[in-house]
Amino acid sequence: MKGTFSWKWAVLALSVAALVAAGCAKKQTVKSEGAQGAPGEVSAPAPAPISEAPAKEAPPAPMAVTPAMPPAAAPGVAVTEEKISRFDDVRFDFDKSVVKEDGRKTCQIVADYLKAHPNAQMLIEGHCDERGTAEYNMALGERRATAVMTYLVSLGVPKGTLSTVSFGKERPLDPGHNEEAWAKNRRAHFVLK
Amino acid sequence: MKEYVLVVDDEQSLRQVLELFFRKEGFEVDTASSLAEAEAAIAANAYDLVLTDLFDLVPPTAHMETVTAAHFSGKPLSFPGWKMIGAEAVVVGNVSVRGDRLSIEMRLYDATQGTLLVGKRYTGTPGQLRSIVHRFANEIVYTFTGVRGVFGTEIAFTARPERSRGKELYVVGMDGKDLRKVTANRSFNLFPRWSPDGRWLAYTSFRTGAPAVYLRNVSTGAEKEVVRFGGSKAPGGFSPDGVWLYAGVSQAGNSDIYRVRVVGGAAEKVVDGWGLEVSPSPSPDGRRIAFVSDRGGSPQIYVKTIGAAGETRISSGTDYATSPSWSPAGDRIAYTARSGGRFVVATVAPDGTGTREVASAPDGDCEDPSFSPDGRSLVYTYRKRGYSALKIISSDGRRQRTLVSGLGDAGSPAWSPGR
Repeated sequence: MKGTFSWKWAVLALSVAALVAAGCAKKQTVKSEGAQGAPGEVSAPAPAPISEAPAKEAPPAPMAVTPAMPPAAAPGVAVTEEKISRFDDVRFDFDKSVVKEDGRKTCQIVADYLKAHPNAQMLIEGHCDERGTAEYNMALGERRATAVMTYLVSLGVPKGTLSTVSFGKERPLDPGHNEEAWAKNRRAHFVLK
Repeated sequence: MKEYVLVVDDEQSLRQVLELFFRKEGFEVDTASSLAEAEAAIAANAYDLVLTDLFDLVPPTAHMETVTAAHFSGKPLSFPGWKMIGAEAVVVGNVSVRGDRLSIEMRLYDATQGTLLVGKRYTGTPGQLRSIVHRFANEIVYTFTGVRGVFGTEIAFTARPERSRGKELYVVGMDGKDLRKVTANRSFNLFPRWSPDGRWLAYTSFRTGAPAVYLRNVSTGAEKEVVRFGGSKAPGGFSPDGVWLYAGVSQAGNSDIYRVRVVGGAAEKVVDGWGLEVSPSPSPDGRRIAFVSDRGGSPQIYVKTIGAAGETRISSGTDYATSPSWSPAGDRIAYTARSGGRFVVATVAPDGTGTREVASAPDGDCEDPSFSPDGRSLVYTYRKRGYSALKIISSDGRRQRTLVSGLGDAGSPAWSPGR
C-alpha cells in the first residue's frame, strides 16, 4: 500500500461540459502530462489509453465466434449421455476407489463375458457424487475406473481390450441430493464399445 | 440503456453530490447510507458500479470554483483554494460528444502540490462509457493505493445451459453484467483458467469425445490444444510470466502435476506422488505452487518450491481440503474445506499458519474460491441441493453479494487479471 485512504477527494468538480457537436478544438496536452505524472507506472503504456479503450471493446459479440452447434451424434455431445449397460455399476465409498465385495462380483461377471467375447472392447467410466471440488473428482473418477480395470486384468482380462475415462461429478446417474443418490453416483460404469 | 450506480456513504452531502453527478451523466442512481441498506439494494438490483466511501469527499458547497472547458485548454485550477478547504486531490473531467464519438478527458490532481497525477483521454462510442469510467476509476484507485482496481475485470465459470446435458464456459463482468457464453459444443467444458494477460482461457473440453486441455483466445475464439496425453486432466493456472501452464493429469489412474509450455513442447512433471495430485495454483512470484494431494489419506493442500525437494502441508483441521487459489499479494491461499459436513471457503498463510474461514452457509456449501486481482475479494460457488450461484465476498468475509444466479450448476469461477 502506497498511500492511505486519508486522502480527501474533492471529487467532482467534474463540470462535465457536454459539448455536443460542433468543432470545439481540443488541446493535445494530456498525453505528455499523463506520462510524466502517473507515479509508479513505469512500464504501463500511460499515454495510449485513447487507442486502448476502443480496442478493448472491439471484439464482436462472442456468440458470433462460437462454433455452430454440433449435431447430437457428435462424439463430444455423446459423452454427456448415459449409456445403458448390460452390467451393474461398481459402487464406491465417499472419496474412495477400493473395489468392494459386491463390486468384485460384478467384475467377475464382466471378466467372464470379456473372456467369452475376445473381440469385445470395454470402456470403464469413472464417476463421483456431487460433493467436493470438480477437479479432484475428475481425478478420483479416473482412479476408480483404473482400479476396476486393474482388477479385471487380475482376473485374466487382456489389458488391451480395456480403456478408461473419467467424468468426475459431471454426469450423475441419480440427480438427487441425498446419500441414496450419492451412493448410486459413486461408480464405475461399463460400456461395451 | 441506462447504467445503474449505487452510491454508498454515511455522509448525506456526499451521497447527494455523487448522485447529482451521475444523474447528470445519464446514470440511474440509487443511494444507501448504511451497509444494511447497501446489501438490500445490491440483492434487489444489478449495478454497474458500486461506490463505497473509500474516499472522503469535500462537500460541494465548499467547492472553490466551477470547472469549465477552459480548464482543459490551459486555464489553471486554483489549487491554493482547494487545498485551503482540505482537498488533497481534485478530479476534473470533460466530456464531449461528436456524432457517435464520445470523448472523455479526465484528470486527477494533487491539490497540495498542484501537480497532475493522472491525465487520460478516452475516445469511444457512447456505449463504451461504462468501460471508460471503469478504466479511469482503476487509475484513481491505483494512484491512491498502489494496487490496480478491479473495475472492468471479468469472471469465467462453467454452467449447464437449459435443455443441455453438457456444460459450457461463460464469462461475466465483475459487476454481474455482460454475461456471455464462450463455448457452444454441448459437451463438457470445464475448469477455466485465465492467462496472465487476460487474453486466453485454458480449460478442459470433452468436445472430441475424450478430454483435452485447450487454450482459447477469448476475443477471437481461436483454439489450440495444449494437453492431450493421459486420462483425466484439468488446468490449474499459468506461471505469472505466461510461459507455463500447470495442470493435473492422470496416467494409469494416478494424477500428478505437470507443466507445459504454452507455445508447445513436452510436458514436465512438477509433482510426483502415490496419491492424487491436482489443482496446481502458482504463487504470484512464480517460484512455488500450491496443490492438492491425498497422499496422507485425505485431500489436503500442499506448497512446493518448483524445482526443489520437499512439500509442506498447509491445510489442517479438516478431512477434505481442495481447490487452492493463491492471493495476488502472495500472502494468503484460499481453498475449499469440509467442516461439519459442509464445505466452506477458508484462507491460510503459505506456511500453514493463520487459518481462517471466510465464507460459509448454514444451509449450503461454499466452494472453489478465486481471488480478485486486487486481492480484496474472492469469488466462489454457493451450492444448496440443486441450486447454485456465484458469490463475491470481501476477503475479510464481511461483505458479500451474488454475482450470478439462475444458471444450472454454475461453478468453477476464475477471476480475470486486472485490466
